Amino acid sequence: MEVEKGKTAKYLKEKRPVSEQAKEELKKFNKKKRALLTALKDGEKTVPQLAKVLELETNEVMYQLMSLLKYGFVETGEIDDMDEYFTYKIKSNG
Amino acid sequence: MMQENIKTLEYDVLVVGGGIAGGESALNLANLGYKVLLVEKELSIGGKMILLSKVFPTLDCAACITTPKVSEIARHPNITVFTGAEPLKISKKGEHKFDALVLQKPRYVDVDACTGCQLCEEACPVSVSDEYQYGLVGRKAAYIPFSIASPRAAAIDIESCILCGACEKVCPPNCIDFTQTEIKYLVKIKSVITATGFKLFDPLKIPRYGYEKYKNVITSMQMERELAPTRPFNTVLRPGDGKMPDNIAYVLCTGSRDKSVGNPICSQICCMYSIKQAQLLMGALPMADVTIYYLHIRAFGKGFNEFYGQAQDMGVEFMKGKVGKITEKENGNLILRYEDIEAGVVKEAEHDMVVLSVGILPNLGMEEVFDNERLKLDPFNFIDQADILASPAKTSIEGVFVSGTASGPMDIPDSILSGGAASAEATSYLRKENTI
Repeated sequence: MEVEKGKTAKYLKEKRPVSEQAKEELKKFNKKKRALLTALKDGEKTVPQLAKVLELETNEVMYQLMSLLKYGFVETGEIDDMDEYFTYKIKSNG
Repeated sequence: MMQENIKTLEYDVLVVGGGIAGGESALNLANLGYKVLLVEKELSIGGKMILLSKVFPTLDCAACITTPKVSEIARHPNITVFTGAEPLKISKKGEHKFDALVLQKPRYVDVDACTGCQLCEEACPVSVSDEYQYGLVGRKAAYIPFSIASPRAAAIDIESCILCGACEKVCPPNCIDFTQTEIKYLVKIKSVITATGFKLFDPLKIPRYGYEKYKNVITSMQMERELAPTRPFNTVLRPGDGKMPDNIAYVLCTGSRDKSVGNPICSQICCMYSIKQAQLLMGALPMADVTIYYLHIRAFGKGFNEFYGQAQDMGVEFMKGKVGKITEKENGNLILRYEDIEAGVVKEAEHDMVVLSVGILPNLGMEEVFDNERLKLDPFNFIDQADILASPAKTSIEGVFVSGTASGPMDIPDSILSGGAASAEATSYLRKENTI
């Protein structure tokens, strides 16, 4: 069967259903991404500050925030006076 | 059932494993004019070395050594590289005659057409744990494994993909192809080199060290990533809360020289890579204290002892002590309970980050692949060297050679030497064919 280039995902979807787990993971990621970006709109914050605002574990915030940094949504700000925690902010061009 | 689709290929040598040892063997053979098929199970060649920060004892950048080698392998006219592939079965049909059944898993990307532009990555909505960053950060389901990967081409993680099609809509050369399926090849070869490398000890097997439970306890490979130029965070940070650590502990022999976890032997590299990381940390975090808890420092190679001395001169603290248990404080700091061997007393010390220097374990599986001859393993399940002193690359099967850490723990210079030895012995085996 000839499948049009650029539209092959549809072809596989018919043969192989998307796992429920993958859909669930996407929902979770989107929720956390939205929450983090909304919290950062009010100003730059450190990981513990974000965790407090969002009532999430600090390690969970760290993982998601560093992923958003990698994906280009967030950038690094300054380090605090104690040289302990960096702040993170919404990337200016993104 | 997948439709059987078997193509026949012919090469002189099949090299299984595209790490630094297998790569060295393949290059040497290719330079001598032999046609080599290099089969790598990961999406990139370069093995573990390509993921390292720097190497001991020279502190050369690991990527700067690996990437030119890897591109030479990829571009060599006598080498064909299959990534995301593995041998399912190898049968010896006679001297200089092997049949290998090789499985090529679908990547869902036409590697030759992909330009590595990363637009698919940007478009992909999915985020899952990045195995090449050892879980410290996420990656997309459409992704380039890592920036210096070879081939530098995208792949689709089909298990995590939601088949939304966003990646193929933005792909300029239209190289994403969800119609790809598994391909099986029957490969006829004259000799085989197994360069299947090692795996790292899983510290979850020592629950008293709290790995995963305590988020600021990481493995040495995770620290390696934190120190690499392509690091997961903006600098060296605690994964538990993003704090810049200033008092880091290393626990040597995590999973090595420990009968209770089933690995009684020394992994040979942990002392040196920990000393290397300690020196790099001193550079990255000038205010940080680094303490290495050790049983014996084994700095046996050329320039190693001097490298150890250099770390001492830089202020790295060496504590002869066995760490029994790690507990976590509310602020994420860790209390190490250890036996101070020289003082003969049990002590406790607080650190804000702990690195478990995990050992080397055999990568099992190749022994199952040979179906009519037995690939013998040694008592520790590494591939047995049939004639370790006279012909260290020989295995229990004539014409099958072992390269690198597949035969036991060793460092990078020794792996490259071993890769060279395997190619030399394979060459002499291949030459015999013409003289018989």
